[in-house]
Amino acid sequence: MSLVALSELLGATVRDAHGTVHGRVREIAVAPQDHPTRVAYLVVRTPEGDRTLMAEAVKSCGSTVRTGEGTPLEPCSPSDGVLLLKRDLLDQQIIDVHGRKVVRVNDVEIESTPVNNHVVLNVVSVNVGARGAIRRLCKGVVPRRTLRALLEKIPAQDIPWQYVDLLETDPARRVKLKIAYEGLAKLHPADIADIVEDLPPAEREAVFETIDEEVAAETLEELDPDVKKSIIESLDKDRVADIVEEMDPDAAADLLGDLQAEHSGEILKEMEPEERDEVTQLLEFGEHTAAGRMTTQYIAVPNTVRVDAAIEALKRFEGGREALSTIYLIGPGQTLTGSVSLVRIATSLPGDRLADLSEPSVSCAPDTPQDEVAALFDKYNLITLAVVDEHGRLAGIITADDVITMLRHRD
Amino acid sequence: MKFIGKGWRNRLVMLLAVVGPGFITANVDNDAGGIFTYSQAGAQFGYVLLWTMIPITIALVVVQEMASRMGAVTGKGLSDLIREEFGFRLTFFVMLALVITNFGNVVAEFAGIASSMELFGLSRYIVVPVAAFVVWLMVVRGTYDSIEKIFLTASAFYVCYIIAGVLAQPDWKAAAFATVTRPQAAGIRNYGYVYMVIALVGTTIAPWMQFYLQASIVEKGVTARQYRASRWDVIIGCIFTDVVAWFIIVACAATLYAAGHHDIADAADAAQALRPLAGQWASLLFAAGLFNASLFAASILPISTAYAVCEGLGFESGLDKKFHEAPVFYWLYTLLIVLGAGVLLIPRLPLVTVLVASQVVNGILLPFVLVFMLILTNDREVMGEYINSRLFNNVAWVTVIVMIVLTLALTVRPG
Repeated sequence: MSLVALSELLGATVRDAHGTVHGRVREIAVAPQDHPTRVAYLVVRTPEGDRTLMAEAVKSCGSTVRTGEGTPLEPCSPSDGVLLLKRDLLDQQIIDVHGRKVVRVNDVEIESTPVNNHVVLNVVSVNVGARGAIRRLCKGVVPRRTLRALLEKIPAQDIPWQYVDLLETDPARRVKLKIAYEGLAKLHPADIADIVEDLPPAEREAVFETIDEEVAAETLEELDPDVKKSIIESLDKDRVADIVEEMDPDAAADLLGDLQAEHSGEILKEMEPEERDEVTQLLEFGEHTAAGRMTTQYIAVPNTVRVDAAIEALKRFEGGREALSTIYLIGPGQTLTGSVSLVRIATSLPGDRLADLSEPSVSCAPDTPQDEVAALFDKYNLITLAVVDEHGRLAGIITADDVITMLRHRD
Repeated sequence: MKFIGKGWRNRLVMLLAVVGPGFITANVDNDAGGIFTYSQAGAQFGYVLLWTMIPITIALVVVQEMASRMGAVTGKGLSDLIREEFGFRLTFFVMLALVITNFGNVVAEFAGIASSMELFGLSRYIVVPVAAFVVWLMVVRGTYDSIEKIFLTASAFYVCYIIAGVLAQPDWKAAAFATVTRPQAAGIRNYGYVYMVIALVGTTIAPWMQFYLQASIVEKGVTARQYRASRWDVIIGCIFTDVVAWFIIVACAATLYAAGHHDIADAADAAQALRPLAGQWASLLFAAGLFNASLFAASILPISTAYAVCEGLGFESGLDKKFHEAPVFYWLYTLLIVLGAGVLLIPRLPLVTVLVASQVVNGILLPFVLVFMLILTNDREVMGEYINSRLFNNVAWVTVIVMIVLTLALTVRPG
């Protein structure tokens, strides 16, 4: 078992059992649908044109690739379901899932394992550090032996193949290659957002087309406003509607508010009626007021119920976690009568009446400017703030995370 | 930005639509190297070199348009594309050449800062280190974005050259004739003439501008569909650059050359061109304009070089990274500034000679960068339907060949 670099294999002479030279290696192909890492074939440039050398026919490889008896070179037939290591991987950008960043491939490490009478070639890692860079810079200039010795001294910066997510912009090919951005989807949305911001537009779009809608929604909320807007504009409107439905209504309203009215209208049309109504309602308020910042996903229960009913309501709640910290109590006609914190619920008995646990609730009017909203959070040390209309009815709540975002972006 | 009212935002968008990446690049193009090269051309040759302006403008439009089109279509920087299409080794040498050339340009910018402040009697041994530190800090702290508008506004200084050019009462007929006349073939045997032509092309179509412009287009998120508007931004920017260049040459020809003052040795000499406008205040005006132009370009050049190199070679880059996360990026950026400024501390360094020489190096690198750009903009896999038209290819190839011939003429017949 030994490691060989892609840059060493490319350009290597291909000899058969008798030592006759047939050509030079031009490209190495992996067929991910058959095996995720195994080299399927080599493309060899011969005087008669490009030929395919099946990987099973390779006896040994390094600076020379030796094949078995006869000349098992077949005419080349282009196939788009394969990953060509030189064209698709070398020098391209990939996502290092483990390091959570976008990197450029300097070289690819291939492991050759002798099996029976031939070798099996497997892609094990990609090199993104100085070792691959210097190897390619010095290849053919510095004697092979000297180069090897020199490279030993340089620390390898390799990313194991299982932590690599390829960026493939063509949807048809992506499906064939079975690229699903599996590693990426497991990351925290904030990390995905950082990665996405480092990518060119076509790759951004590709990421958003393949990751799960819920993850896409959370990632979108973390993105820089300009990047967010350009992604939304590039995606199909059905897809956008699916993602927007997964977002918190306040974030969704913010996003749609930044788009051209015509475009946001089209997206709204594609959304489920329930989510659409929530978002439309929020869109009507000014962006920089309490109503523009609030979400309509909160927990409210009648002020007559007991703690066990509140716990039931908590269990059924599907909105964001930020909204969970407070349970609002409403009287007849949806009027806000008080609130109970999650801590009080947790420390009370199931039979306690919520009205007895209630604290007077701080609230503000829908048209309160956002600076005053921030001041209220500061003054009363709030986690959530209720927004009530002129009739005293609970319209929505503002959560602390929105206030932090707002303060951070105020310039 | 998010919390500024809608009306304000719309107005800002309108403003930015006019002052796009093309226009900003055009302004940075008239940097210290530019001002001195144009001045020297006018002082040394009078109206003779004005013929270069029309071909240079055409070539500049074509080249800048290619860079911005590549940026809009691919969403990638020029160094990214060179790396992806030409592999590591070629990218390495292009980046090496770019670093060396841009180092020359950084030196030129600090030379501009030094010579402008010497007109105020300030020693370069104090001014240059302070300026270097200010530039370094401004970019690292992220204050550059807010200062860019100030630089841009102060670039209105170039209008002074237009006014001075008019007030100097040049021989308009001779100037106009020199602009459209055919160059003398004998010129190629004159070393000084060839040197100056290369410097003029090199300073106007500087290689680093193509990297910078393409990166700005990408950063601004211009897409292939919105590209038409950007094209006008680029064309107007190019024409602006060269109209200013034309007037600098004319102003210098009408004042310095006419007075028999054929060699600009320092900023005080160059400032004489503004005398028809500002009289005894000419030095002051020139110093302020040169200082702004130099500081503007000095803030952009090192950071854009660091970005281009790190992206091409695959090193971590970005000001949002910590020093230990992106060491190559920060070291390259810091060394370009420290060493670039350091050169200026060499006693009795002839500033104007250094300034013009750095532009000649630009001119020598230009054809190589252009060849890469041409191959890329003709590649259907990269550009899709937006590949070059034949007219563009012709203009660009002629530029490449002319620059190679001129460079050879320079090396074959030294002196």
